[in-house]
Amino acid sequence: MKKFLIGICMYIFFIFLYFLQSDFFSWFTIAGVSPNIFIIFILFLGLFTDNKFSVIIAILSGVTLDLALGRVLGITGLLFGLIAIIAGYFDKNFSKENKFTLVIMVVVMTIATEVVNYFLNVLIQEIPAEIGAFVKILAIETLYNVMLTIILYKLMLKLGMLLERQFRQKNILTRYF
Amino acid sequence: MYKNKRSGTIGTIITVVLLIALVVLTNVNRDNLSYAEGFATSIIMPIQNAFTMFKHKITGNTEFFTNLDTLKKENADLKKKNEELETQVRELEILKAENSKLQEYANLTEKYQEYETIPAYVIDRDVSNYSSNIIINVGSKQGIEKNMTVIADKGLVGHVISVTDNTANVEVIVDSASSVSSMISTSEESIICKGSVENDRFLNATYISTSAELLVGDSVVTSGIGGIYPKGITIGTIKQIINTQNITDRYAIVETAVDFSKLYTVLVIK
Repeated sequence: MKKFLIGICMYIFFIFLYFLQSDFFSWFTIAGVSPNIFIIFILFLGLFTDNKFSVIIAILSGVTLDLALGRVLGITGLLFGLIAIIAGYFDKNFSKENKFTLVIMVVVMTIATEVVNYFLNVLIQEIPAEIGAFVKILAIETLYNVMLTIILYKLMLKLGMLLERQFRQKNILTRYF
Repeated sequence: MYKNKRSGTIGTIITVVLLIALVVLTNVNRDNLSYAEGFATSIIMPIQNAFTMFKHKITGNTEFFTNLDTLKKENADLKKKNEELETQVRELEILKAENSKLQEYANLTEKYQEYETIPAYVIDRDVSNYSSNIIINVGSKQGIEKNMTVIADKGLVGHVISVTDNTANVEVIVDSASSVSSMISTSEESIICKGSVENDRFLNATYISTSAELLVGDSVVTSGIGGIYPKGITIGTIKQIINTQNITDRYAIVETAVDFSKLYTVLVIK
């Protein structure tokens, strides 16, 4: 029940992020390029909640985005789901308490997601790939995401720890104490 | 520990300042900086000139300096006259071509008025950096169908690619997936205007015939070929012609008539 309520809160937060991305960040750009705050959000979920929960919210968010923007249904959902799974892997193998590690995760996820997304669109829409322009936009977008992560790091860590406590309370093994 | 916390806060503040500076610097209109540039130039240039004069006086080169000034003035005058002549020639060519097509355009305007249109508002834009598509607030309930042409007061916007009950997704002409069969209004030379992922104001005009004579300022309209867009809707004007070593590869940059960043109301042609 608790997880369900947190899930609803996260989904509402995603809707808030959608308006933020669509309205505020379409105006607050670096050389006409806006950040992709959805990637940071899904990475955050994957790092601080359990795998199943983060994947469900990620897929739901992606499908909502596809429906709202009239895109090919499922692609964004699938990509977001993959981000959540990879974030879970990052959580097991790296320390998210380190700002630099988190920044590297954001860089890797932004580049990977946008490359897959762009080339899938190129294949589906049968349009020529504009590699030069794509790399330029991707570089600015990644830089923007990194800057946002640095700015929001403390807040993300605080909220994340709060979330993690709700999800991983039962998993603490007392034999280690 | 204290030091780490402090340096972390300073790092965050520096990043915030850097982000705001980047946003401001990359979005500010260069024209707005002209006052600042003018101010800086008015301070630096007299000093620079004085230094140059002084340097030439020492080296006994003042005559050259005076002659150079005269030559510069003459050169500027000649350039100005040349520009005026070029403009006159271009205007004459355009007028000549426009005159012969005047009757056709008059008919086209009448035809254009005959279209039944549905007004709509732009309610959303694609949040991705790689797409420029828009969502409008009319859908199948209002009679919107796939492939209908969308226009704005100044020209072509795009066409409907998907429809729901109350909304429609419009692929705009500046989107990288868009490709519009067009022609130069004066010479009627066929070209293809393609959108790009990089910007939302310019199109690349390709497949230009080797014999075609393009001029900067020529207006580009839809050709009617392809079955989606009706003939004669304004797309934009040629901003730049890029000549390559191989003439078949040359292309032109077309500035769209519609400013997509300020697009709020559109008309859907039924």
